[in-house]
Amino acid sequence: MDSPILATTDLSSYLPIVLVVLMAVGFAMANIVLTMLLGPRRAGRTKGMTYEAGMNPVGTARKRFNVRFYLIAMVFLVFDVEIIFLYPWASTFANLAPGSDQSLVWLVRILFFLFTTVVAYLYGFRKGVFKFD
Amino acid sequence: MPLPAPFDFLSAQLLVNAVVLFAMVHVILITVAYSVYLERRISAYIQDRLGPNRVGFDFGLPFLGFLKGMIGLGQPLADGIKFLVKEDYAGDRVDKALFTLAPIIVIVPAMIGFAVIPWGGVWNCPDISVPFTSYVIAGGPVLVAGASVNIGIVYLLAVASLGVYGVTLGGYASNNKFSFLGGLRATAQMISYEIPLGLSLLAALLIIGSLVPDAIVRHQVNNGWLILSQPIACVLFYIAALAESNRAPFDNAEAEQELVGGFHTEYSSMRFALFFLAEYSHLVTSAAFFTLIFLGGYHLPFIGLTSPESTGLLAVLVKFLVYFGKVVFLICFAIVVRWTVPRMRYDQVMMYAWQAVIPLALAVVVMTSFMVYFGKTALAPMMIANGGLFALLMVFQPLLPKYNPNRKLALYGSRFSPVGGEMVSTRPTAAMALEDRPVQGTVKA
Repeated sequence: MDSPILATTDLSSYLPIVLVVLMAVGFAMANIVLTMLLGPRRAGRTKGMTYEAGMNPVGTARKRFNVRFYLIAMVFLVFDVEIIFLYPWASTFANLAPGSDQSLVWLVRILFFLFTTVVAYLYGFRKGVFKFD
Repeated sequence: MPLPAPFDFLSAQLLVNAVVLFAMVHVILITVAYSVYLERRISAYIQDRLGPNRVGFDFGLPFLGFLKGMIGLGQPLADGIKFLVKEDYAGDRVDKALFTLAPIIVIVPAMIGFAVIPWGGVWNCPDISVPFTSYVIAGGPVLVAGASVNIGIVYLLAVASLGVYGVTLGGYASNNKFSFLGGLRATAQMISYEIPLGLSLLAALLIIGSLVPDAIVRHQVNNGWLILSQPIACVLFYIAALAESNRAPFDNAEAEQELVGGFHTEYSSMRFALFFLAEYSHLVTSAAFFTLIFLGGYHLPFIGLTSPESTGLLAVLVKFLVYFGKVVFLICFAIVVRWTVPRMRYDQVMMYAWQAVIPLALAVVVMTSFMVYFGKTALAPMMIANGGLFALLMVFQPLLPKYNPNRKLALYGSRFSPVGGEMVSTRPTAAMALEDRPVQGTVKA
């Protein structure tokens, strides 16, 4: 019995994903609504206070935060976009004839692409983006 | 007779997809509930305790007394009911809309990721006749998975990284400093470990050359599991998957000694439970993902029923059980890791990602692309190449610049690391303190 690799490209094969998203949202909403209906409800002045280890809360949490998190997000963007570009390359590169001229062109191009990322990484490294203390 | 025009998109494949999804949502939720139980039992065993071993299914009713005990298997149900009847409380200064939205945004990506996992391989479906009509849906080979799309891996990656939004939002909406810091930490950690996750996956996909989940399993059936031919990428992937789902030893988002509960400090009842469920269903999904990429999916060597050639109903069931068994094994492994390895400090976690895991993953990708170029992607040359890379790493590693994060920072007024030239004395100066007066109760008679 032969069994072909089944991977459809038409849009209707994404219908089950819509279904599972609806199921997941339904599950989450139903749980929240149920606990709102079933649970008790009591308010109080001290009960509504923000938890700060038992002390009276000081100020708000909407404060400036360490710029390091911002830097990490920026570097993440560089790397993530790069990885997204690598996926289509990877799924095609493996199917080229090994050692052929076309394969070599693909390899060198992607190595240059990776090299630019390595330069960005080294720059970030020298600037101390990846140091945490 | 085939179906008429508005319904002719309904194929056997779509029907099987819907059935599998409906069944798997329940299977995953029950697995999640029982992996919490499993975690408590295994941690109890590791720490020489008993763990939950009393709650059965008798609900305190006398006529159900025979369901008592059951080594605590009723615990997840009891926990679930308790979560439902607890007060769903939001503090006064909380952003109510975002506060409610955050757990939903966390749980939805965690629950939809498994849709493309090929649980049962290919099934040769018979013709399905629609009841009470003469319409027949043509059978044929169908994929026993939630959705048979050709970009399965990209879908899995995309969905897995969506969970970070809920964590960020939960931390922000709580308007609590602990939550905010926990959310920031979790966000930075999750986005940092997404990169090695993607890169190590890329190293595996470079060998396979396809993004279709079923094709990945078939490649491993024919050429050996990828855990053997890509061991370094496999370890990196596992580390990144643990860090992505905020599991120990990377659970800094909820480091309770520092941040109380992290981003869900302010949450209670079912909204908290959704965060909790999301963590575990993330664990289940990443275990299934890992099984798919590195452990050969539903395949077991030397068992004919688990090869892609057998397409009967029995074969599908056996394949599902094999796949699920591997997932449960990986969950147990993650639990043992959690209770064995101590939590890493936050700066160590981040530096580990950026200074160790990401460069190594890049090196593995470059190594693999050279191997693919030379056409040496079989098991033996890949193992040699991995060994070579590992040896190179061991040689290269002592030459790297040392950076000691444990140095003392000079602090004004500190007795232990004073600012240069400063002399700090902590000897008491008040007259009363200098008096030699023993504390009450410590005087010897």
